[in-house]
Amino acid sequence: MKVFGTLLVLFFSLTPTVEARVYLDINAPTFVQIPIILPKWKPMEKTPPALTARIYEVLVNDLYLSGLFKVIDHSLLPYYLKDKEGIPSMLSLHEWRVSGGELLLAGEASLAGDGLQLKLKFHLIDLVEQKHLTGKQYESPLQNLRHLVHRMSDEVIFHLTGEKGVHTTKIAYVLRQGESREIWVADFDGANAKPITQNQSINISPAWTPDGQRIAFTSYMKRNPDLYLIDLNGKQLQTLSSSPGLNLSPSWSPDGKQIALMMGKEGKSDIYLLDATGGNPRRLTRGHGNESTPRWAPDGQQIVFSSDRSGTPQIYTMSIDGSNVRRLTYEGNYNTSPSWSPKGDRIAFCGRVGGEFHIFTMGIDGSGLRKLTPNGSHHESPCWSPDGRYIAFSSTRLGGGPKIFIMNANGFNQRPLTSSKGGEMSPAWSKRFE
Amino acid sequence: MNQKHYTLTIIFILCFCLILMGCPKKTVVKDEPSAKSEAAKIEAERLAKEKEREAREREARQREEARLKEKEKEEQAKRELERSLVAKKTPGIEGEVFESSLLKPIFFDFDKYDIRPGDAEILKENAALLKKFPHIKIQIEGHCDERGTNEYNLALGERRANSTKQYLIDLGISKDRISTISYGEERPFDPGHNEEAWAKNRRAHFVITAK
Repeated sequence: MKVFGTLLVLFFSLTPTVEARVYLDINAPTFVQIPIILPKWKPMEKTPPALTARIYEVLVNDLYLSGLFKVIDHSLLPYYLKDKEGIPSMLSLHEWRVSGGELLLAGEASLAGDGLQLKLKFHLIDLVEQKHLTGKQYESPLQNLRHLVHRMSDEVIFHLTGEKGVHTTKIAYVLRQGESREIWVADFDGANAKPITQNQSINISPAWTPDGQRIAFTSYMKRNPDLYLIDLNGKQLQTLSSSPGLNLSPSWSPDGKQIALMMGKEGKSDIYLLDATGGNPRRLTRGHGNESTPRWAPDGQQIVFSSDRSGTPQIYTMSIDGSNVRRLTYEGNYNTSPSWSPKGDRIAFCGRVGGEFHIFTMGIDGSGLRKLTPNGSHHESPCWSPDGRYIAFSSTRLGGGPKIFIMNANGFNQRPLTSSKGGEMSPAWSKRFE
Repeated sequence: MNQKHYTLTIIFILCFCLILMGCPKKTVVKDEPSAKSEAAKIEAERLAKEKEREAREREARQREEARLKEKEKEEQAKRELERSLVAKKTPGIEGEVFESSLLKPIFFDFDKYDIRPGDAEILKENAALLKKFPHIKIQIEGHCDERGTNEYNLALGERRANSTKQYLIDLGISKDRISTISYGEERPFDPGHNEEAWAKNRRAHFVITAK
């Protein structure tokens, strides 16, 4: 039940009398977002209103990005509610029912310690039941404002679904500018986008270490696609594998002890395993196919990959010793770049239909195939958020090159990550940074 | 009458003598032209030798000329190759390579890496050039069009570069002279987003790494 936290359970326990009305399975095609009202935040004492305005903005965006909520527009509020700030008293809760919100999230902020320490307090209220659900206080240096708000958003989602949100995660991706391809990292909400590599080379296929401290990636800086490891400051660079030919598309085992990757040692791409330090290559695939994009199952026992051994690229799974190879896809003639969901129950991949590339998910036996992206443009390189609720991918729908998009795992709520100018490709999702 | 007989006898004898004498004289006469022809023969031989020598010399000269011509041709080819070379340095990628219009690219069908029959002829020309310049080393770059996932395309580019390399090896080029690299869809020749551009981008491109 924790998987894709069905809100049914939570609302059942919170508001048993309205359970039929708020039945919500966020992964169902008929998912309805919960209407939520956010009164303006109250700046306490001498806190500048611009600060609470910023907090409010980050918070509303977080709730929007989560895809779980329908944030009620203030312009629709009656005049006597528009200017109300801060946490309403229990006695005045009934006033907010006219807003149409079923939930109310309110808070206040103050500055302490010479104005460099930020204090936040929020309350989450069920307006239908007129009941206080949860509330928390946070304190942190002012420069961590965004991070603090993200933790608050995660807490709200935890209370409603039984699992934290992913607002403190980051997404690594490839930014294409002219001939160069650099590895960039941005927060889940697209903020703080910054380059990790800055060498003008071709730097591609980033993959986070499970501890979130470093990123493995492929670079052509020595005129061969070699595998490197770099820290998030872009300072410490270490060579992992530089065998002639491809050293590409790394994927860390869940325990961080091994790397699955594509290697071109035999004149064609095969799947290999390396030790975490890059040595001891072990070939897992044999035969004549082009084997690509290995990704670990969350149990660390299987690998999903793409192979054209049947004549066209299709999705397969195998045990980590190369045995028990199973073909999962039979529809279409171009299925590539699979990604195993963190809950282990589904596999996302890129498939071609009618000349367009789309993101699909399916069960781990290939059943229950679902197309998630709309027709009219190309979509590639799906990867899952650590809670399995979201999928990041690249989409050409905005024109002018691909951009990283995020959607709910059921295909709802598709939106671009950043508003950068260059082409963005190959997203990789980090763990939570709490 | 006896006198007459005597005289006749003498005459006869004389005549006989004359005849006899005429014979050695005749041999002498015969001997004279034989010596002359010997000389002529020597002369002829000398002439023949002379001719032969001249012919040999001419031949040698011709050979030398041909050699020089060949050398000139080689030099010219070398110059032509030199002239065709364009140094290519890429920011962020170590080293320098040379591109030559004399080494022609070949092209592939979508999602394929087999050499097309028409392109086999181009590879034969490229192999001939490599045989003509046995000191140069090349790198074959495998490229793809933008469709499909980047990583799958890098695998495909690897395969395109290597199937091209194998073809040149089969034509007698040493494998030590050929390295490969896949750029997938990261280095399109034509930045367009249509079949015309894509067809140009699905290619094996040759660069010279040592000349």
